[in-house]
Amino acid sequence: MVICVLLARFALIAALGDRRALLAEPVALAPEAGGPQMVGEVSAAAEAFGLHSGMRLGEALARCPGLRLVPPDPDGVRSLWSELLDRLEGIGAAVESDRAGQAFFEAGGLAGIHGGNIEGVLASTRRALAGRDGSGAGRGARIGVAPARFSAYAAALKARPRRAAEMVSAGAVRAFLAPLPVRLLRSRAELAALPETLERLGIRTLGELAALPAPAMAERFGHPGLLALDLARGRDTPIEPRRPAEPVVERLALPEAASGPQLEHALVLLIARLLARPERRGRSLRSIALSARFVEGGTWRTAVTLRQASADPDRLRIVLTPKLSELPAPAESIAVEVEAFGPPAREQARLIDERGSAESRRERIGEAVRQARQAAGSDAALRVLAIDPESRLPERRAVLAPFPAEPAEERRR
Amino acid sequence: MTGEGLHRLGTPRRATVHAGRGGVPTTVGRTRVEAVNEDWVVEDRWWTGKPLRRRYFELVMVDGRNVVVFLDLESGRWFTQRA
Repeated sequence: MVICVLLARFALIAALGDRRALLAEPVALAPEAGGPQMVGEVSAAAEAFGLHSGMRLGEALARCPGLRLVPPDPDGVRSLWSELLDRLEGIGAAVESDRAGQAFFEAGGLAGIHGGNIEGVLASTRRALAGRDGSGAGRGARIGVAPARFSAYAAALKARPRRAAEMVSAGAVRAFLAPLPVRLLRSRAELAALPETLERLGIRTLGELAALPAPAMAERFGHPGLLALDLARGRDTPIEPRRPAEPVVERLALPEAASGPQLEHALVLLIARLLARPERRGRSLRSIALSARFVEGGTWRTAVTLRQASADPDRLRIVLTPKLSELPAPAESIAVEVEAFGPPAREQARLIDERGSAESRRERIGEAVRQARQAAGSDAALRVLAIDPESRLPERRAVLAPFPAEPAEERRR
Repeated sequence: MTGEGLHRLGTPRRATVHAGRGGVPTTVGRTRVEAVNEDWVVEDRWWTGKPLRRRYFELVMVDGRNVVVFLDLESGRWFTQRA
């Protein structure tokens, strides 16, 4: 059986932080800085005014003049959701989660360590979501249990927050899904456009969809049609658990409105510090995220996947620097985080030996740095990095950054 | 910029400075000031809740050293700094 944990308005809850009491009032996530002028998730009180996620800001304010807008906090959402997933993994669950507020895991293997039955697993899940003091962000979760991912999701939608989980047995799953509307298929990104076409053809429920012959669906809609048919019949693809993240992040506070070259210098420093982190263990970086916390509140985040995994600071700088220009507002701090590591960073040997004196000198320095670090820790070899050389305040001009690891050093890791 | 484990260069250090007429330093520690090369005022972050106002002096000491000191006009304390 698959367990689905559903937390409605998760992005809004995360953005509200300690002000969660505001959920009782009409509040909505403000449009993302630099993005289209549309509100994000809205509270139940705002829904009563006819507001919904994706509505134009002007229309939302016209319908509900007392609407309070909360700056979105993608960084906060990510860390809060990651914390909840960590807690679920803490009870032994292999969790799949494509979006914050929605998680799936197989209950089968967990029953043995949680009382021998599904109720024990559900009780442990609730405890994990509520946190130690019972006030965690996951306490209002809706839980559904069904034989597959999609049916578990449908069951969770039917469950009430903080109440008993909605359970659908394997024998009852088709009957359970049959009366539900086909627009439920929109929960799958690859089927987002299908429900509208189905409704135009007069197929309004999953039961009507399940009754259609597979060849006809395949002919009309191709692979998405067959997937939709499987879902409507209570089948789904296997759960693909996430690989637990290794949070390696470096953050710099910017006490004043840093811009242009200063931000670039800060980025160089962050990259150097990221590459010097022992958790990297000589691996290259496959995917990196650049995030910022704004002076006015809220956060911004953008991720970059490198065409070729690299641990070369210059290459990383070239990739990330253009992203700085996308910063939509003055930042209070910026951070660089490793989202995925690549294979160990190794320089390929050259076919023709072109080593000059400069290169051999660099290798000797690299060797000296390696030995110094081994003897006295990662801070043993540092270099002076100019951050804001023109500043009138001497303490803002330069900092000590980790000395970049030389290829020779990388190879030894 | 600040951050965990960040080593900043040229951070100010508290100093014992005696000032004479016009607030001009006469001794730094136990060493007398021979001459004042230059003095200037830096005002920054006046738009924040923590404004920064400093009066800098570049001094020549009797032992021949060049020293830069400043008076923090907000706290009234003296600091030396590698400029």
